[in-house]
Amino acid sequence: MKDLKRLAFERKKAMSLLIAMSVLKGISMIGQAVFFVLAVDGVFIQDKSFAEIVPYLYALVATIIIRSASSYLIGRTGVNMAADVKKELRLKLVNSFKEDPLLSSAESPSGQKVGLLMDAVDETDGFFSKYIPQLMQSYVIPLLLLVAIVSQNWTTGLILLLTAPFIPVFMAIVGKRTKEKADEKVDQLNRFSGTFLDILQGLTTLRLFGQSDKQKEKIEKSSKDFRESTMDVLKSAFLSSLTLEYISMLSIGIIALEVGLRLVVFDNLSFFSAFFIMILVPDFFMMLKDFGSAFHSARGSLSAAQLLDEEFSKERTPVKWGETELAENRIPHIRLEDVGFSYNRNFALQQISFDIEAGKKIAIIGKSGSGKTTLLHIIAGLLPVKEGRILIEGKNREEISESSWFGHISYISQSPYLFAGTISENIAIGVTGVPSEEEIERAAMKAGLAQLIESLPAGYRTQVGEGGRGLSGGEKQRIALARAFLKKPAVVLFDEPTTGLDLKTEQILQQSIAELSRYATVITVAHRLHTIRNSDQIIYLEKGKVAAVGTHEELASDYETYRNLLPLQQGGALR
Amino acid sequence: MNGLSQILKLTLREKKDVTLAIIFGMLAGLASVALLASSGYLISKAALTGQLTVLIVIGACLKLFGLASALSRYSERLFSHRATFTMLGNLRVSFFERLSPVAPELYGKYRSGDLLSRIIGDVESLQNFLLRVFYPPVVLLLVFTGTILFTLYFSIQTAILLAAGFLLTTVAVPAYFAWRRRRNDWRIRESRGALSAEATEFLYGFRDLKIYRQLTGKEQQLTALIDSYNEEQRKEGKEEVYSQSINALVAFLISLAILAMGAYFTAAGELDGLFLAMLVMISFGVFENIAPMAAFPGHFEESRKAAARLEEVVGEAPRHKKTGELPADPLSISVRNLSYTFPDEQRPALDGISLNLPAGSKTAIVGASGSGKSTLLSVLMDVLPAGEGEITFNGRDSVEFSQESIWSRMNVVLQENHFFYGTIRSNLQLADSAADDAQLTEALQKVELADFSLDMEVEEKGQNLSGGERQRLAIARAILKAGELWLLDEPVSSVDSATGQLIYERLFRNYPGGTFIIISHDLSGLHAMDQILVMENGRLIEQGTYEELLEQKGYFYGMKELEREILA
Repeated sequence: MKDLKRLAFERKKAMSLLIAMSVLKGISMIGQAVFFVLAVDGVFIQDKSFAEIVPYLYALVATIIIRSASSYLIGRTGVNMAADVKKELRLKLVNSFKEDPLLSSAESPSGQKVGLLMDAVDETDGFFSKYIPQLMQSYVIPLLLLVAIVSQNWTTGLILLLTAPFIPVFMAIVGKRTKEKADEKVDQLNRFSGTFLDILQGLTTLRLFGQSDKQKEKIEKSSKDFRESTMDVLKSAFLSSLTLEYISMLSIGIIALEVGLRLVVFDNLSFFSAFFIMILVPDFFMMLKDFGSAFHSARGSLSAAQLLDEEFSKERTPVKWGETELAENRIPHIRLEDVGFSYNRNFALQQISFDIEAGKKIAIIGKSGSGKTTLLHIIAGLLPVKEGRILIEGKNREEISESSWFGHISYISQSPYLFAGTISENIAIGVTGVPSEEEIERAAMKAGLAQLIESLPAGYRTQVGEGGRGLSGGEKQRIALARAFLKKPAVVLFDEPTTGLDLKTEQILQQSIAELSRYATVITVAHRLHTIRNSDQIIYLEKGKVAAVGTHEELASDYETYRNLLPLQQGGALR
Repeated sequence: MNGLSQILKLTLREKKDVTLAIIFGMLAGLASVALLASSGYLISKAALTGQLTVLIVIGACLKLFGLASALSRYSERLFSHRATFTMLGNLRVSFFERLSPVAPELYGKYRSGDLLSRIIGDVESLQNFLLRVFYPPVVLLLVFTGTILFTLYFSIQTAILLAAGFLLTTVAVPAYFAWRRRRNDWRIRESRGALSAEATEFLYGFRDLKIYRQLTGKEQQLTALIDSYNEEQRKEGKEEVYSQSINALVAFLISLAILAMGAYFTAAGELDGLFLAMLVMISFGVFENIAPMAAFPGHFEESRKAAARLEEVVGEAPRHKKTGELPADPLSISVRNLSYTFPDEQRPALDGISLNLPAGSKTAIVGASGSGKSTLLSVLMDVLPAGEGEITFNGRDSVEFSQESIWSRMNVVLQENHFFYGTIRSNLQLADSAADDAQLTEALQKVELADFSLDMEVEEKGQNLSGGERQRLAIARAILKAGELWLLDEPVSSVDSATGQLIYERLFRNYPGGTFIIISHDLSGLHAMDQILVMENGRLIEQGTYEELLEQKGYFYGMKELEREILA
């Protein structure tokens, strides 16, 4: 609430405009009442001719237009403020996503973040477009009306001053009760709305088990229960409106009586003043009641704001970078010194130290959960080095520029991402410039894609990714390879797939990595014996620590744990 | 429009609540008009006479009307919301009834979960239909009619002006803005869609973007889309404010016209000045009720679209009209030249598949991910239609038989199995509602889940269970179903391989007459199968027994070699 309010009050220009327009609206409301009353008073009490009151009618047209225009401007300012704040929030979100290193390491970030960017931000709209403008009007206009009323009859003003405070007080009391009731039932309510989703999601299962007819009753029952619970909450909310309405009705009644008494019995109030008061008093209460309903509609914004706040206040350790450029066309020497990293979970990489000489083939192996992929991400510069350091050509990597580093590496993950676009564009993403068609085709050929692509009617212009043609896992891998061939990196990081690839892709992957390794250091999280055996150096990880380093032969002869890992090679029985 | 009329029908099924809501809505509106009218009259009367009784009578009226208005408003809200929630319940049931026959195919065709969330969102957004679309114009019509009839007694001109005001503020202006909105609405949806797609790419493709140094470019695109979506929203918001202001302006001008007309006739002596203030107050009061109409265009468009989309989803007539029952004999399935292509894709997912699944045989399907194994299973299950070619059960074309009849014979375990919020017991009893605890426990034992209590809570989608537990629970559910056709899609991929083998062996031993069709990525243990089908790119490239395939030294052999290469 405070954050949202701060965001609103920061926009001084918009806020001043809101206040100015509220004042104008208040004045035009008073003006409108004045001229209405003057016109009626003119013909009714003072027996003026129609021609004599025509000026009042013109004045009325003017005040009505001013009132509508100021209302429009208030609404418009609210809408503008909401749009500006939403833009600011969205940009801030994108920025915070960008700085979250975990985003690049997660295999599939949840759709939740998209939801934050789209829905949560949209839900804050009501606060700025409705609540804030109403808040300003409720501050300014009732005050102006009160002044106008007091100027005509101070006792009416006194009655208003005595009765009006009941409205916010009751609003707060009943609002709190409603909220308590809603909180109390929130689980229950979520459950009910969840039931429908649950049943729809499981509809295939229900049909396969011949159970779908029974679910109809379940939906009926849960809908009824949902209705009863919601009505319970709503009843107390409606009761609060009833109370407010009753308070304002009562006050209007008292004021009418008071005004009537003064008119009839004491005869010390003019028809003009009486009528004027009777027009403005309902407006006065209407403003207060509108504030109540606007407050209600701001509720949704508050929970959305809380979600956003949680995202913004997450602790992030971005990867640090410097300014130094790496030499072009030179494979860098990489050295890890006591590198450590931990998630908030119970997992940590500790004291990882080894050297990666230029142009070597490195295999990282270990059981699942030993930290292989995390280590690869750290080497890639996707996750921060929390302890120790990584030296590139003897220089701390934190001094090297991000762009220069990423310009030197390729990363072939288990699930490369395809962007919406053509195959050609998806390969071209490998470089920052605009590659020629020949270059793209050559890269595709090396990645074993040429035949497949040429068999497609649209060839390299075939749309893939979201809303495009689906590619199989193997084909995606080959696109990633083509990106790497186009880029000609000095360091290739490769997360070897565990299952699900077709034989052809397997073969192409092996050939391609061999080809790439001729001009690059290749660091592989390896699952294939073939890859491991062909490596110059094997890093064996166990529970986040380097358990052994060496060649296949060295480890096979000296390290029993490693030997045990290789039963297949010894012709042992299948699992 | 067809969609909305369906919704209207559902809404009107709750006659009592809707009628009561309308009556109280009308009373509330009329009472508030009466309140203002009497206050106008009171003042005028009081200005002329010194009689205290008049004052007291009218003062009492004032209180009465105020109280009546507040109470009616309360009842109106109560009944209209009740009716809305009842309608929402009816809508859910009716939608479920219509979705149910087409669901498996629909879900199979559109593989994203997007469809479901859209459906649910649309159903929920229809709750505004009664409250903000259907109901306000009806109540306004009644309130205006009542008011106009009353004013007719005093001034026919005022009545005419009020009628004109009603037509303008409740019909013409909202209709005009609804039309404008309809013209512009696609733009906001388009920009929202574009932003959502771009954001998804930004988040899911983040790593690749970062490594390929495309992040800045993508971020600029994202920022541009944020901008354009924001601008569209801004336009929409301004449009709403504009429509609201125009409606209010029209109402004020009508009140002004009533004043001018009344003043003219009063000055001319044709209208008793006593009623002038009252008539003006009446017009104020009656136009106070039009506020909900400002939101009408938005809600109308939203409801119309939601209804149309829902109609589109369930509007497809169910493919199956056949009601034939499968013969009770053991079933042999035969597939000839089967092909299937997903909608919006060019490449067939299944391409010229022919195979035999004799009764009591055990078949394994293997191949790379994306090779069409699961699609083949879906077509065999009749969840997806056979695009080309035919499937026969004991020599009779499968299109003769109802889906229910086919499914009643199948024990299916899919890659993703749905579990409902409830208990282990309630989820298992889906398969056999008559099964007692002993039978349920036995089924759990068969899948090595003996330590599960039947009363254990299962959360939505079984999210409190591990992948392996869910798979085993799905197998237990299939065991309880007791059909003879077993269709298992990687049923133990998340279970450790020893336990997986144990479960397979138990199934084969306990159900010797069963026909098994198993998709597996694990090539070990396949020697027990009668035949192995190898798929690549939607085609069946090899088939035979384990020994035959190894001897061929073809694709299966290559896969086997590769598996040998992979470290645990």
